[in-house]
Amino acid sequence: MSKYNILIIDDEKIVCDMMKLSLEQEEGYEVESFLNGTEALERLKEKKFDMVVTDFKMKGIDGLEVLRTVKQLYPKTAVIMITAFANLDVAIEALREDVHDFFPKPIKIKDLKESIRKALP
Amino acid sequence: MKISKKIYLTTFVNLGLIAVIGMFAIFSFNQISTKFKFTIIADKLNASFLEMRLLEKNYFLYNDKGGLLEIQQKARETSVTLNKMRGDIVKAVGRDKFLQMQKLLQDYSKMVALGIKNNKKDAWTKKEIRLVGQKLKSYSENVTALERQHVWEIITKTSMVMRHSLWIIMIFAFFFSLFIVRSIRQPLHRIVALTKTISKGNFQKIKAKPPANEMGAVIIAINSMAEELSKREKAIVQSRRLASIGVLVAGVAHELNNPLNNIAIIAQTYSEVYDKLDKEQHIGFMAQVEEQVERLQKIIKNLLDFSKPKEPKLAEKDLNEVFMHSLELVQNVMTVANVQTRLQLADTLPTIYIDEHQFQQVLVNMMINATQAMSSGGELIVKTGYIKDKDAVEISITDTGNGIAPEFLDHIFDPFFSTKEDSGTGLGLWVSYGIVKTHKGRIKVKSTIGQGTTFTIIMPTSKKYKEEANEQV
Repeated sequence: MSKYNILIIDDEKIVCDMMKLSLEQEEGYEVESFLNGTEALERLKEKKFDMVVTDFKMKGIDGLEVLRTVKQLYPKTAVIMITAFANLDVAIEALREDVHDFFPKPIKIKDLKESIRKALP
Repeated sequence: MKISKKIYLTTFVNLGLIAVIGMFAIFSFNQISTKFKFTIIADKLNASFLEMRLLEKNYFLYNDKGGLLEIQQKARETSVTLNKMRGDIVKAVGRDKFLQMQKLLQDYSKMVALGIKNNKKDAWTKKEIRLVGQKLKSYSENVTALERQHVWEIITKTSMVMRHSLWIIMIFAFFFSLFIVRSIRQPLHRIVALTKTISKGNFQKIKAKPPANEMGAVIIAINSMAEELSKREKAIVQSRRLASIGVLVAGVAHELNNPLNNIAIIAQTYSEVYDKLDKEQHIGFMAQVEEQVERLQKIIKNLLDFSKPKEPKLAEKDLNEVFMHSLELVQNVMTVANVQTRLQLADTLPTIYIDEHQFQQVLVNMMINATQAMSSGGELIVKTGYIKDKDAVEISITDTGNGIAPEFLDHIFDPFFSTKEDSGTGLGLWVSYGIVKTHKGRIKVKSTIGQGTTFTIIMPTSKKYKEEANEQV
């Protein structure tokens, strides 16, 4: 059984750590996490990921930019966006860029996992 | 003593002096008039005496007995006149002189009568008549001359007294006016100076015990007005603080969301991996939760600290630190509004002497204004620095918003002036201005339409502040 590579980007370290730990409980998920968009995009250039979970509001490169870059590099990679405040403009923009799913904080990990499962082939 | 009492008292003293002089003048004039009346009478009497003596001379020359009868007739008439004028004469020259004159006239009449009766031109009677006649005439003339002399003396004396009194009254009135003007002007100047400082927003009171007069009453009224104004200003400052909190809460809500989200994720993950954890790891999870709770507490504490009214407490503070604390409060408002911050803070700054709580309010207010001026995001540039020649520290807060129209720029520190259509009370900058002013600082504003606005606050260093405070004392 092939492994799925999942990339998590969030400027809160605890979020990265917990999501990584939780997702790694599932069979076949290999998770990497980054605290900012710049480092994550560097890593994306080196390696293809099957799934990217990114926070929207971050210092420097924000979630929308991550989404755009991912879609340019790997159009088939699904991106899930997490945002602290549900902003309709952001949501519409993300949908235009073909976001897979959109989660407001506080997130339900069960729902997140469900969404990831659906996105992966 | 009350000023009105002082004025009354001195006016009465002045009037009293004038009355005394007036009475003296009236008395003198009465005296003059009495004496003058006498001299008129005396002139008449003297004329009669002279006539009698002329008749007497005729008698002696021509031995005319009828002449003696004429003298007798004249002496009788003169005696009647003398008695008629008795009152006036006694008043003018005294009783003794009158009686003496009367006696001399009687003696003369007797001698004339004796001359008539004897009808002899003996040497003794002749001699006696002449002698008494001479005596009578010279006595009367002497008395008249003496009284003329008296009149002259009285006039001289009165004129001198009047002249001196006039000087005394003038000098007294001059010094009194000076005294009254001084006693009004000095406290008045103090009151004017005080009201000026009050109008500049510095609600100090006159500390010295107010005098127990009208000025004292004014000072007490001004003191209570200053107190009332100070209370109201405190209320306005506090209401502005609460208004800022309204804005800050939006940011805080977002800021709370992060640790809450973290706790939620920790809890969910914890329940998933519960069975696989050893004791250390269980403790580790709980420690993470605790850390997030502390973060929440800090956010709430910051907001509560900011919202609570506090007694002003001046202390030496680092402007950079005060700014960073203020930024923490506003950071999330700016994040939500998509405003980036660019900080260019000086490495080290001399301290400033401020009430941190109030000063934070100014900075928060400026940053909220800047954020609201950048409705579609932008950049907030903050610079701090030391101005050596003024021995002052400055902080400038620049936004990349729409800028303020030049016609509004002169009014932005006025109370109730607002360009924000819905949310502004127009008190924020006014309150900020007042706070900076009471800390002996200045606020400057520079704005270009379409480019943005820069507010600069210039504060004296602690050293300079204390030097200035000492100078004022």
